[in-house]
Amino acid sequence: MHASIDQLLSLRDGEPVDAEIIRHAENCSDCAAELARLRRIQQRMESLPQAEPPAMAWEQIQARTHSQPVPGRARVTGAAAAAVIVAVISGLTIRHLDSTSQPPLASAGGERPPVADVVPLEHLVAQSRELDEMLQYLPERPSVERVAMAATIDSIEQRVQWLDQQLSYAPDTGLNDAQTYRLWRERVDLMDSLVKVRYAEGGSRSF
Amino acid sequence: MSQFQGMQVSSDTIRAAAGGDAVAQEAIYRECSRPVYAVIRRLIPNAATADDIFQDVFVEVLRSIGTYSGDGAFGGWVRTIAVNKCLMHLRSPWHRSLLWLDADEGDDEPRFQPIDPGPHPETQAAAADLERALATLPALTRSVVWLHDVEGYKHHEIARMLGRSTGFSKSQLARAHVRLRKLLDPMPPEVTGGSLSCTPLSTSC
Repeated sequence: MHASIDQLLSLRDGEPVDAEIIRHAENCSDCAAELARLRRIQQRMESLPQAEPPAMAWEQIQARTHSQPVPGRARVTGAAAAAVIVAVISGLTIRHLDSTSQPPLASAGGERPPVADVVPLEHLVAQSRELDEMLQYLPERPSVERVAMAATIDSIEQRVQWLDQQLSYAPDTGLNDAQTYRLWRERVDLMDSLVKVRYAEGGSRSF
Repeated sequence: MSQFQGMQVSSDTIRAAAGGDAVAQEAIYRECSRPVYAVIRRLIPNAATADDIFQDVFVEVLRSIGTYSGDGAFGGWVRTIAVNKCLMHLRSPWHRSLLWLDADEGDDEPRFQPIDPGPHPETQAAAADLERALATLPALTRSVVWLHDVEGYKHHEIARMLGRSTGFSKSQLARAHVRLRKLLDPMPPEVTGGSLSCTPLSTSC
């Protein structure tokens, strides 16, 4: 029996592999050749030529960076937007307190890992993904809408974006399991809110 | 090796850019644009879409640069934003790539005829073959092989970004290499279920 491609890839990448597989790959010419081929392909990919960034891209990026998404409007209606956000967050909190099926969050200051009866992280990730998909299927946002609604959606989206960055960067920043769990928990809650607000937005088109 | 590893941006430049200094912002763009565009083009083959995402990445980098804590390499932070933007796009159900995003083994045989590389595999023709072979991979599979083999991401990192399991990332990588072998190797050893089935040597196999 020869080494599988999974095992040879693990061997190539310095991941843990059974000693038996290592011995086999050293002594079997076919497996050794396949391992060498995998290394060659990787080297060839690394040395492929790079595409050049589009010309004039910087000018367009500059223009977008210095333009405000909704200038002025957000400031004027800040109080209204804040009120809606508070309402959304309060709703979430109440939902958490009322829910019997939802286990408690890990403690706020907690460096402790999640306790055993907490929803498993995988479920949160799956739930988050489902909400992402649900959001994608909602109708496009209207070109004209209430400022408070737009500000609320923007605020939630920005927070979700920040969470995504933190989660993606978690391995480099050394977030522990409890911290990672809390970020995913918050993401699920925010995505849930976002879907609801977007539904409300769709329903208010007649205004 | 990832092009992001050689990125040199001083903390002064980052601080100035965060304060709105246009010269510092442009310096960051000049330093980062090539590796950012390179990774986007590998993950997003459509040039127009890649150009849009490229702009989105830098708009986000420059708007959120104040949140960069200084922990970890700046290049890694920029790369994370770029990769996330690409993966978010690929995961969008509205995107046509979804049709083949999760293409599994048992798909149609890859439609690809390699250019004969001749006796010297490190030729331009061989590079072109590899480019074309990569382009025939399903979007998600290609993303995994590129992020792992070139950008140096670990399987658990790829899994986290995709919202999938580590096993999923590993299986996508193995699948990618099986496909690449079929496409690029004119005389590949027979493969059965991901395992080589070449004739064992009597001494060791």
